[in-house]
Formats: sequence, C-alpha cells, structure tokens
Amino acid sequence: MEVIENKRIKEKIYHQELDSGLNIYFMPKEGYVQKHAIFATNYGSNNNYFIPIEEKEPIKVPAGVAHFLEHKLFEEPEVDIFDQFSKLGAYVNAYTNFNQTAYLFSAVDYFYENLELLIKFVQNPYFTDENVEKEKGIIGQEIKMYEDSANWRVYSNCLNGMYINHPVKIDIAGTVESIQGIDKEVLYKCYNTFYNPSNMVLFIVGDLSFDKIIERVEKVERKDFHREVEEITTIYPDEPIGIQNQYLEGHLPTSIPLFCIGIKDRNLNRQGKELVKKDLVTNILLEILFGESSEFYNDLYNKGLIDNSFASYFTGKKDYGHSLILGQSNEPDRVYSKVLKHIKSAKKNKISEDDFQRIKNKNIGGFLMGLNSLDFISNYFVDNYFEKFIFTDVLDILDNVSIKDIETRLIEDIDEEAMVLSVINPIH
Amino acid sequence: MVLNCNRIGINKGINLNLIRTDKFKSNILSFYFTLPLDREGVTTNALLPLVLKRGTKELETSLKIQRKLEELYGSNLSINVDKKGETQTIRFTIEGPKGSYVNDGKYIIHMIELLKSIIYDPYLEKGVFSQQYVEQEKEILKRLIEGKINDKREYAIYRCIEEMCKNEKFSIYPLGYVEDLEKIDSNTLYKNYEKILYQAPVEIFYVGEYDKELESYLIDSFKFPKKNIIEIERESITGSVQTKNMIYEDMDITQGKLVIGYRTGIPYEDHLYNGLMVASDILGGGPNSKLFRNVREAESLAYYIGTSIYKYKSIMLIDGGIEFENFEKTIGIIRSQIDAMKSGIFTNEDMDISKKSIKTSMESIYDSAFLISEYFFSKVLTKDSRSLEETIGDIEKVTKEEVIEASNKINADTIYFLRHIG
Repeated sequence: MEVIENKRIKEKIYHQELDSGLNIYFMPKEGYVQKHAIFATNYGSNNNYFIPIEEKEPIKVPAGVAHFLEHKLFEEPEVDIFDQFSKLGAYVNAYTNFNQTAYLFSAVDYFYENLELLIKFVQNPYFTDENVEKEKGIIGQEIKMYEDSANWRVYSNCLNGMYINHPVKIDIAGTVESIQGIDKEVLYKCYNTFYNPSNMVLFIVGDLSFDKIIERVEKVERKDFHREVEEITTIYPDEPIGIQNQYLEGHLPTSIPLFCIGIKDRNLNRQGKELVKKDLVTNILLEILFGESSEFYNDLYNKGLIDNSFASYFTGKKDYGHSLILGQSNEPDRVYSKVLKHIKSAKKNKISEDDFQRIKNKNIGGFLMGLNSLDFISNYFVDNYFEKFIFTDVLDILDNVSIKDIETRLIEDIDEEAMVLSVINPIH
Repeated sequence: MVLNCNRIGINKGINLNLIRTDKFKSNILSFYFTLPLDREGVTTNALLPLVLKRGTKELETSLKIQRKLEELYGSNLSINVDKKGETQTIRFTIEGPKGSYVNDGKYIIHMIELLKSIIYDPYLEKGVFSQQYVEQEKEILKRLIEGKINDKREYAIYRCIEEMCKNEKFSIYPLGYVEDLEKIDSNTLYKNYEKILYQAPVEIFYVGEYDKELESYLIDSFKFPKKNIIEIERESITGSVQTKNMIYEDMDITQGKLVIGYRTGIPYEDHLYNGLMVASDILGGGPNSKLFRNVREAESLAYYIGTSIYKYKSIMLIDGGIEFENFEKTIGIIRSQIDAMKSGIFTNEDMDISKKSIKTSMESIYDSAFLISEYFFSKVLTKDSRSLEETIGDIEKVTKEEVIEASNKINADTIYFLRHIG
C-alpha cells in the first residue's frame, strides 16, 4: 500500500493495486456523512478509432458509442440497477466526456454494499438486440434536449470550427443518425477493450476504512479479464495547426446572442505534471487578461458589451487543447475584435506582478474551497489520474508557476490565426 | 452528527445564526433580506443587490472589489434574488478559505468587513446611488429577465406556475418585469434601499470556526436601528383547482417540454405533508420512480421526467421533455400512475426506497456549508423548530395510509406544453 500525503492541504490518499490490475485510491474525509465512489475508464468519445484488444487492425466506431455504452451498462438480465441502488439509499449516476466514462454513486448508509453493486454492474455488460434498440429512443431524446440548448450549441459549434480532423469536434453523444449504426457487437468490442481493469481506476472518498474497501472489491470483482494487456492504442488523425472555420453561426430561440471564442492550442504533447502546469499557466493568463478584475472586463462591462456571463478558461489533454472566451452580448463581433486587439497589445506589454500574485492567490483559495466538495474531489481526481497526476499536489505545481511562464505562453502559443468565433443568434 | 444553531438577536429584526463546524476548509457568511413578494416592489428589490455590488464607499468600482476579493485568497462573493413561496429573498454571501490554510489568521475580519460595506456602505454620489451604475445594472437585469426563455426546461416550469397561480402572488417572477425598469432611477432605488435597510427582516448565517471575539465582531458589524419592521404573511394555500387550464405555447425547438401543475392543499405545518413528500418521491423522485420507469424506461418517451414539490405553496409539478406527438400518450401514462398512487398500488419496498432517498438527500446538507445555511434559513421562514434528525424521523414514520391519503389530495390544475411551431 502506498500513502500519498500533502501536509499543506492536510489530505492523504491511499493507493493499492489489486492482482487484477485495478488501481484503487482512497481519500479519507472525516466527519462527512456522504461517501462517494467513482469507477472510471480512460475511455471517452475521442477514442473512436482504435485497435481492439487481442486484434491487430484498427477499427472505426460510430459517433456516440462511449456514451451509448455508459447507458447500456445499467442494464442487467434480471435485476434493475437503479432499483438496487435505490434500495440501499444511494444515488447512482454516470457521465461520458471526451476522454473518460465514469460511474459513480453517493451514499450515506450501506456504503460497502453499494460499492459491491457498482463493481458488479460495471463489470457485467449485458447487451441484447432488443435492449440496444430501446436505448436509441432514450438517447435520441437526450440528443434533442442538447440541440435546444444554446449554451451547448455555441460551444460545440466552436469546437467544430477549431478542429479539422480531431474527434473532439464530434458531439459526445453522437447524432440521432450515428447512433442508429450501434449494435451489441460494437458495444462488446469497445467494452472488452476499454473496460479492462488495467485501463480503469476506482476512487473513493469519505469517512471509511481502506482495508474494508479492498476486501469488498476483491470479493466481487471479475477475475477473468485478460491480464497481460498492452497499452491500448487509439489512433488520432493528423490535426493541422490551422482551423476549420473562422466564423460559425446558428439560430435558436434565445433572448440575446451567445458567443464562444476559441483559440486552438499549438503547444501539445504534454503529459503529467507538464500538462497540469500548462493548464494552470494558461488559466492564470486568461484570468489576468479577461477575468473580472481585469481592465478589459470592466471596460467592456461598462460599455454594455458583456455581462456577468462572460468567462474564459483553458482545457486540454495531450493531443488537443483550446482556450475559450464566452458569454452573451448584443454585439459578438465587437467583443471578438476587442479580444483580438487585447491579445495583440498584451503581447507587447509586460504582465503586472500585482495581477499575477492576486490571480495566483485566487487559484489557491479556489482549490482549497473545492476540497470541501466530494464531487469536486472525485471528478478532479479522475481527470488528473489518467494524466498520471495525483491532484492533491496541485498547489505545489502552482508555486512553481512564474510570471515568465505566463508571458512565454502568451507570446509563443496564443495564436490569433487559430481563433474561431461561434455565435448563436436569436430567432425572432 | 448534530448541527446546532446559536441564534442571537442583534437588534429588532436582525438575527445572527452561528453554526460551528470544523470540517470544511472555508468559512461562509450569508446575509438575507426577506420581503413580501409583490408586483409593485419586485423589480426594484431585484435591482438593488446588482447596484450594491458595484461599489462601496471605500472600493468605488467592481474592479476594486474584485481585486480585494482576489487578495483575500479568492474569496467568493455572490448575490442572489429568489422567491421562497411568496417571500422575496435577497442574499449576499462571502466565502473564503480558513486562515490556517493560507497562514493569515486575521483575514476573516476583512471578509466580514467587505460583505458589510457592500450592504451598509454603498458607493454614493450626491447622497444617492450612481446614476451610471443604476442604468448599467438596469440593462443587466433586463437581460436576466429576458433570459428566462434560454433554458427551456426552467422556462416551461416558470410559465406553468405563472398560468396556474395567475391570481396569486406566487406567480410573480422574482427578478421582476422589464416594463417596470423604466421608471426606476438612482433616487427611487435609493429610497427603496433605505426602506429595506430600516424595515426588511434580516437573517445572517455564519458557518465555520469562530470564537467569542469573532462572535462580538459579527454582532457589532451588522447592528442597524430598524423600525416599522415589515410583517411577512404566510402564503395562502388551497387544495381546490383554481384554473383548470390547458396552455400551449409554440417555439422553434426540437424537444417538447411538458409541465403539469397540481394542487395538494397540504400545508407544510401539517403532519400529512410528510406523506406527500413520500408520495411525490414514489411517483417521480428518481430513477426508481413510477414515472421514470414507465415513461422513460418502458416507453422511451422521455430523457427526463420527474416531480417536484413547492413546499411553501403546497403545489406539485411534473415535468418532462418529450416528442411533440407523444403528448397524449405521456399524459395518459402520468394519469394512470397518479391513479395508481391514489388506489394504493405501490409496494412497501417503494415506500422504503423513497424514505431512504429523502433521508439521503436531507443528510447531504451536513456536507455543505452553504446548504447548512440555506437549511437553517428555511427553518426560520417556516418556523420549524425540529432538528434535522427529527425531520428525517418524521419521514421514516410515514405509513402507507398516509401516502394514499396525501396522494388523494393531488389535483391536476394546469397543463402546460411548450411545443414546436407549426
């Protein structure tokens, strides 16, 4: 057993790898009545072109398979999974994003029983022609719900504009058409490849005993998974530095135009601590340039060009990354040209030490307050874990961020040529 | 785990509620004004916190306030305007990491000072609010009000309540109305501010670590000479159907939004209210509920469908996202599921599951400082003296007969359907 301790934030994480290849991490939270468990695979909608386990040739699967699989794992031959969790007083849920699929529950009582249930249902797929067909109706409704959401559409159009080949441009749930091509065979193939315990992680947080957790998991986990797996190969198409479209426009019944400005990152192939640092550096940079305490924000706010919905953030993995600046405005074009101008002039000036220190402070506080929430902890853990980083050390990386890092990132990587404007205009 | 609230009357109309806990990494302070929800004042009241957060006597601009917050280790300042039944609430909250994590034990004083000055010492020009700030925030509020159509699910719920309760104050939109904005200027807004300062009841909640010194500091900081304090009446409720409406609204959307409003007439003070909570949960509380199983799982008609209870008005809503052509079919299933509840066609296991689910969600309050403060605030509003354990205990004691009795008081009032144009 390994213990990872961070004295500054007064948190500990215990780790153990089981014989099955499954890694379990546990963070004790004394005094919390809720307990969370999250069982996640390093598999999301981006993994749509890969070499299946024990095969040689790569296959391409329909858009939306990872998300479809997430829905279908809740199906078991005899028992209803929702029912089982409900009987134990737990809330069960799942999500799929570009990079991960996660199954989670929160419980106050019967934690270990719920944990057994979580492991059992995720490790026991049951797909039939009938139950796959039935799910197409439900997921179709989910896709339509997103189609009506202006916030979602302005964002997904922006991704579509930035990327030329990369699968991050495809909606996570796929389309009503693409999911028609999903059958039980493709689901099993994806399952067997990506749900191997060595490609997954189990993370638990709450007032619990790690010994008991391990004992319960070992008791119920499946032992017949292929043991000697090599790293799974997902093939990403070549992604040029340029963008697909500079401007994208959609129309929906909203009260005011929504915009999302995307800047595609060209500094890729970072992993682990380097990726985490890049993430922090870029987010601090964006906050200095566009945050609520910036002259820029206050100027545009006072001119009535933006409101409190205005925000910016960076997100990225090894093979893709982008900064987003988004909000609502009656004049998205004007906001766009002001953003562009601001970036150009910022490159010519120095970043102020005072701004830098304040935003760094804000990041420290934000992280500490995040540690109050079991949801934040679970999601943050999983997201960083698959990047080979244990999140509790994030403040130590933050300490190492210098003003020079911020300036270099701005000058070298924020590329005005790789900027996209996506707008959703109201239908009148 | 037991939460105790130390309630101290600061002066007439202002109460400080201290909840001690050491499990969080932050301290949180919330300040609430409570006001009667009425058409006359709602818009001006909603505008007030937007203008207040623009500047204080010392920090005259948002930029300065924001920078101050960042210096205070990224303390969060948030404001909110909402309604709880027929009470309009204006909330100001500040939350920041504990001093021990940032090696700055005293900075909490600055946090309190900032929140206090935003409420009590606003930035003024010629004795009233800055006209520029007022005009800018009127535009912001206008957008917020108009923005209610952006989330179709929320919009449909709001519209159903608006139609259903059109002769009751509960139909009033808590952020107000665009047509009322025009007549507000810095003078009228300031007058309203003074009225609220002197007359609106105030509840303050502090959740975190504190000692005697901090306690007296909080008491001194928020003292205010109140007079003619406004009385807030308890909502009138009715079990009988008021409108019996069927409302269709058309919009250019892909998925239809169905909302059905029901009257129950069971006040929260009534013991039977516990039975109603259980009934609502069995019917549409979660993935195990009757509606989820029958509308979503068995028929694939919806991605989401569920019930919610509006405690202060004893109203229940069912809302779902469905295909336009499945409207009749969905209504049919909903009706038959409610009939099943009324005839007692549900199992002891259903009861058990729902009780556990309610218990779990109530207990989750313990793990969030913000939810703890909201929970104690709602107890003040409902004059509920039970502890959380007792409230959970009352849910656990609900009998099948009570669930049937409560179900039989559920009467459909208004059906609202947001559908595709054409």
